[in-house]
Amino acid sequence: MIHIVSALPAEARPLIDHFRLHEKSTSGGFRIHQGNGIALVISGPGKVAAAAATALLASRLAAGTQATWLNIGIAGHADLEIGQGLLAHRITDRASGQNWYPPRVFDLPLESAGLLTVDTPENDYPQAVAYDMEASGFYPVAARFSTSELVQCYKVISDNRKQGTGSVSAQQCTRLIAARLEEIDSLLQSLGDLQQQHHGRHAGNDDVNRLAGQWHFTVSQQHQLADLARRWCALIPDQPLWLDSLKTHDSAARVLNTLREHLDALPTRLAAETGADRV
Amino acid sequence: MFNTIYIESQVADHARVAEICARFPKATRVECDRYGEVFNPNAQDFRLQKNNPALILAHKHKGHVLTAPQGYGIGGERNHYFSHMLNCLYDCRYCFLQGMYRSAHHVLYVNYEDFAEEIDRTLAAAGKQASWFFSGYDCDSLAMEPVSGFVEHFLPFFAARPQAWLELRTKSTQIRSLLKVEALPNVVVAFSFTPDEVYRALEHKVPGIERRLEAMLQLQQAGWPLGLRFDPMIYQDDYQAHYRTLFAQLFSRLDSAALHSVSLGTFRLPRGYFKKMVQLYPDERLFAGSFETCNDMVSYPRAQEQEMTDFCTQELLRHIPESLLFPCSLGA
Repeated sequence: MIHIVSALPAEARPLIDHFRLHEKSTSGGFRIHQGNGIALVISGPGKVAAAAATALLASRLAAGTQATWLNIGIAGHADLEIGQGLLAHRITDRASGQNWYPPRVFDLPLESAGLLTVDTPENDYPQAVAYDMEASGFYPVAARFSTSELVQCYKVISDNRKQGTGSVSAQQCTRLIAARLEEIDSLLQSLGDLQQQHHGRHAGNDDVNRLAGQWHFTVSQQHQLADLARRWCALIPDQPLWLDSLKTHDSAARVLNTLREHLDALPTRLAAETGADRV
Repeated sequence: MFNTIYIESQVADHARVAEICARFPKATRVECDRYGEVFNPNAQDFRLQKNNPALILAHKHKGHVLTAPQGYGIGGERNHYFSHMLNCLYDCRYCFLQGMYRSAHHVLYVNYEDFAEEIDRTLAAAGKQASWFFSGYDCDSLAMEPVSGFVEHFLPFFAARPQAWLELRTKSTQIRSLLKVEALPNVVVAFSFTPDEVYRALEHKVPGIERRLEAMLQLQQAGWPLGLRFDPMIYQDDYQAHYRTLFAQLFSRLDSAALHSVSLGTFRLPRGYFKKMVQLYPDERLFAGSFETCNDMVSYPRAQEQEMTDFCTQELLRHIPESLLFPCSLGA
């Protein structure tokens, strides 16, 4: 699942249209749009609103650690051209001085910059960073619900020293985001690939659920079962964990013993991998 | 090699930082107040980061030289280790570094001079007694040499201190800085090996056995004391044939009489690290075997461990004198 947090309806509109999202609900004044594996919330301006909207989306969708989170919006910068898209490689909250560093572990030809979250619009652009009003509210909350590699802030430059914040209209904001949809698609694709890698390790095991439904496992036995299932998937991934011989077992302890004996009897071999990554 | 370089503010103007950054002109440079802001946060996925780690250039404030764990040594009484880097370029699935840190980014402490000062203080405390310093504990000693220039910096230092012994532990073939200078009798270049079958399955991005052996031969010819490290030894049903083949391959070409030391130890990990590594690589067959936990260390069952150690010891003693052999005990 991809979660997008945008501050303004004008920022969200091109995303809603592009991803064909439908308004699902309104809660606490936040409008949530959903469709095609994407959920978008319009937070309203400011970091507190962004934090609240992020938390709302996480709770509404029961977001697990595998979710991708993206804050998409406009930002100012002293020198960058209007319309330039960028990822935040450092987010700083001006009020508290706190920093966050979204890890960039994907290869994508995408500019990056420091991002300073301010409480009121910045018209002087004193530092060589981008200025926004939401990222420091969004990022630490989203990073509580997912791994930080899957939490990113993407901004499109809307104002600079030549054209200040006063010149940014809703229509222009929509045009700026719309002009970057291809880049946003590439970013979501890269994050989606990472999400799949991450998700693969945290996916549940249907056979485990089936066994757990058939016998009563204590908490300790549930851990043992999960560990045996993990070994099973590593050693004999093509064989179902559900053995015919288990049918006659009258206790979870016997089930665990049978599974353990089966695994311990297997030959100990390390799978040979392809030589593709050899130096 | 690195797309992103994080630079601690404190070392932003350090000459070594400028040199390193110049090697990566296209990398994005991000200044940070303290490297822990990048390296230590909870919500990080080591395995995702390992695909594309960043370089972090930092200043080490304390703990430059630490006492080596009990059982870690190759004949010396006073054993220490130091870590000028955290994390490794290579991706060996059995390595405890996979379970040690939350981040897979490479931290390089650039204040080498402070490490040198601390080594001097350690030597002063030892009087005339020889002291060993192991450098490949939290990283590979040579793999990042073209970037770090660490060995090049420290060789003259150890050349002037004959009572100080340095072990460079590596799987790398980056030996140019060693071949450029005269061999030092108190610097041991120790190469780690596992059999080819283990290498292919578990040692990702590592130079092949033959390439490492070639590097050893060049160093041996240049007069450098060499070590062989079979640690960890990895169990498979046919491990005996694999280790016998590996030993034959190495000792048929290396001059055994000129080796400084050979050490071996079976696969073992602190329980917390093992648990974390299993979470990172649940589909890894290495972690799907039978293990025992004793004194908070996870290892092969005692009998299996003893059998491996006995076998490999006997095989090694066919090639080297016992005085060169140093088994690593559990917990080291």
